[in-house]
Amino acid sequence: MLTIVAGLFALAIGAGFVGALSGLGGGVFIVPGLVILAHVPMHIAVGASLISVVATSAGASVAFVRDGWTNLRVAMILECATVTGAVTGAYMAGVISAPMLEMLFALMMLQSAYFSITKHGDELVPTSDRLCARLRMGGVVIGDDGVERTYGVVNLPGGAALMVVAGVMSGLLGVGSGALKVAAMDYLMKLPLKVSSATSNFMIGVTAGAGALVFLARGDIATAVAAPVALGVTAGALVGSRLLPHLNVTALRKLFIVILILIAIEMGWRALSGF
Amino acid sequence: MAKDSVTSEEDRVLRIWTPRILRTTLVMSTVVLVAGMVAMATQAPGYYVARYHAVQHGHIHENEGWAQLVQGAHRGDPHAIMTIGLYILTLVPLARVAFTFFLFLKERDYVFVAATAYVLAGLIFGVMLGRIG
Repeated sequence: MLTIVAGLFALAIGAGFVGALSGLGGGVFIVPGLVILAHVPMHIAVGASLISVVATSAGASVAFVRDGWTNLRVAMILECATVTGAVTGAYMAGVISAPMLEMLFALMMLQSAYFSITKHGDELVPTSDRLCARLRMGGVVIGDDGVERTYGVVNLPGGAALMVVAGVMSGLLGVGSGALKVAAMDYLMKLPLKVSSATSNFMIGVTAGAGALVFLARGDIATAVAAPVALGVTAGALVGSRLLPHLNVTALRKLFIVILILIAIEMGWRALSGF
Repeated sequence: MAKDSVTSEEDRVLRIWTPRILRTTLVMSTVVLVAGMVAMATQAPGYYVARYHAVQHGHIHENEGWAQLVQGAHRGDPHAIMTIGLYILTLVPLARVAFTFFLFLKERDYVFVAATAYVLAGLIFGVMLGRIG
């Protein structure tokens, strides 16, 4: 037993660590890790990953909420969309074949690689549009230069539509879909980048939790896999986030993108072989 | 540092209590999971290995009810303890959404009462969907 647990634990720590350093989250790495290296079926890997995503989101959100980076009002409204998507995605995961899930996962990894290399802008709007103003979604952010800036929030329907897609991806593939959530808030809703990241991290917990509940209730969470994986990914993410400020992230991210593309090719090949 | 526009009292309560709820449930689930794994390693390592290999071959269906799990954990069954740890972990977001629901209800902020109620209903619907599907 100790050999199996130690292997799963090491895999999960590595996934959590790389997920935190790359900013992509542990789910993107633990699912292929379990499928390719631990020979665990795709559905079980997705379920175990969802549980670990809940844990890492909760751990990271503590500081972001306490320090005021998370826009709670935006999160609470958009969670309606992500939960709808996640429950739908998790239900679909129960009826879609493993090769199809693997192919979708490979495509999602390529999309994550694309989001990692495209630059995020930080174009703030001074005032919210009518709907967002009514929901009091705007806020104040202090930039790197120490200057306080008021930001408005716009295009809630557009952001919510993308959040449904992010939720489906999360429930279906066992990832947090953080890259898509940040893009929706940053590009479409014009939230500051750091507020978008913190708010996305906060929402990931509920999104993955909704998916995980469907998997748990269906009996698709294998305790023998999910327990060591949840503990390992959380520990790896914790170490990764602590080391992050001391490392040359730009160089590392290029390496991670190459790894991501290689894993996507391997997952795609597995899927094609399984059809 | 950033500030969102939640009114000051709601803001203060949420920023104090949300991290507390998240941290408490996270620590609770970690303790239960570690206890379950230690119990498994000392009491039934062969059972774990057999279950793991069954999982690898796609033979799993872990659909124990709450009553069964609680009874199992009470008897010191490591598998039941680990599964309860996973349930607690999954309930982390549910707990903080439920807290927010009651806070907004108290503050009579009905748009956000409706939003959090929808999320809670979605989570419960997810469980029902999982049970039937």
